[in-house]
Amino acid sequence: MSWPAPRTVRRLIGVLILVLWEAIPRLGILPELFIPPLTKTLNVLWLDRAIYAAALLVTLYEVAVAMLIACGAGILIGSVVGGVAGLRRLMLPVFSSLYAVPIVILYPVFTAWFGIGSESKIVFAGVYGFFPVMLSTAAGIRTIDEQYLLAARSMGASLPQLIARVVIPASIPTVLTGLRLGGALTIIGVVVSEMLTSANGIGYLVTKNRTTLDSPRVFAAIIVILALSVVYDIAVRFIERRTLVWQTAGRGASAGPTRALPAQASA
Amino acid sequence: MQYMAGVSGERAGAMKAAVDVRGLSHVYDGRDGAVPALQDIDLTVPAGRFVVIVGPSGCGKTSLLMMLAGLRLPTSGTILCDGRPIAKPDPARVGVVFQEASLYPWLTAVENVEFPLVLKRAPRAERRARAEAMLRLVGLDGFGARHPHELSGGMKQRVSIARGLVQDPPVLLMDEPFAALDEQTRMTMGHELLRIWSQTAKTVVFITHSLTEAVYLADEVLVMSARPGRILDRITIDLPRPRTYQMMATEEFGRLRERIWEQIRTTP
Repeated sequence: MSWPAPRTVRRLIGVLILVLWEAIPRLGILPELFIPPLTKTLNVLWLDRAIYAAALLVTLYEVAVAMLIACGAGILIGSVVGGVAGLRRLMLPVFSSLYAVPIVILYPVFTAWFGIGSESKIVFAGVYGFFPVMLSTAAGIRTIDEQYLLAARSMGASLPQLIARVVIPASIPTVLTGLRLGGALTIIGVVVSEMLTSANGIGYLVTKNRTTLDSPRVFAAIIVILALSVVYDIAVRFIERRTLVWQTAGRGASAGPTRALPAQASA
Repeated sequence: MQYMAGVSGERAGAMKAAVDVRGLSHVYDGRDGAVPALQDIDLTVPAGRFVVIVGPSGCGKTSLLMMLAGLRLPTSGTILCDGRPIAKPDPARVGVVFQEASLYPWLTAVENVEFPLVLKRAPRAERRARAEAMLRLVGLDGFGARHPHELSGGMKQRVSIARGLVQDPPVLLMDEPFAALDEQTRMTMGHELLRIWSQTAKTVVFITHSLTEAVYLADEVLVMSARPGRILDRITIDLPRPRTYQMMATEEFGRLRERIWEQIRTTP
């Protein structure tokens, strides 16, 4: 007997989880307060769709602005820190250490500064997502192959041309890795800050319904957040595939295509 | 044919020199103070000649080449290329082919070849046509749309050569271009390079570690000493052209190879 493909197994596991989600509370194995049945959760989500949609919009807005800040500032500061040797030696150790600080401890400070509305979430999530973007941009620029730069100079590239035609394309893969991580952290940052102190957004719905022990509504909000992160991941993968044809193809099948070439040209 | 095999040093100096180096010395700041890297290099390469530089690792061959390319400035001495001093890279006068494939992986083969023309802001149609012609010259017709990772090592170096030649510079500098290739590919590529050279009438300065490659390719082999790099000997290779693989088995070939090896071996 041969094993089914991993893809099939993954799907079966997914279906199994959904079935268990429905069955366990229905059969009374766990109380509904712990896990409300899937259908009940979906039903609540449908009934309250206006509330959830409004909250999602708020969250999306915060995530979008925070991502802009994190990516914009991260790429800008990262390229300056990565590109200028003096700054790099001065700043990079500081930034690398800050990365390990649980920035969530600053959130109470941010609410004092910016209130409990969207602004504090945006600033917090922006700072949270900034570090991986900045660090990977700096790394991406620092680790560019010297040969690429030397070759471009030998071909008469000016400094702006060197940056636009070599430094930027060469650092895109590393920067994208940072953006992917930074974007994910931004989503986490927004949701967490909404859960802590807030009056709106999906994270707020989780906290609010938990205080009233309304499990189906808590889980409905969780489903929305899960969907948000899955959609984000799919989008990022799509972008990576489109922009990095040369890179992703080079990894798996570097020897593949050349083998089919005519012998006289393959030297 | 543009080569001048067997031209003696004195006569060569009187002819129009494509590369002319006078009293070049270079000192760089190492960890333990100033390190003399190159010392009193005089080098005249007549137009159309194929000159190969050999020498022990770290003798400053690559430094010398970088200076000829205008990528590094010497501490003292003058470098004339095509009769004019070279102070910064000028791809219309000097093309460079590097050691490992320094092709840009995000560009296709033809985009890599036209890269110098893009930097010069040449019109799109013109530069594309020129790049395609260069790919044909190096035997890669039809491979223009491939990315470097879809090409073999030898093919990548063909693209590098095409890129070095795309602006039709009179001088082509090559820094161990075939060092990363396997032996068979390397032989084929050497032969191909001679074909391209005979079709384009370039002056070539070629650096290698392989003595066989040096004798096979060169009109003249320059032997450099260990650091500080000096030119120890200039050996004229008067094997007839076009060169064939069979020549490698001749006594003359072995004698020349032996003479170069002797020079490198007996120098401290």
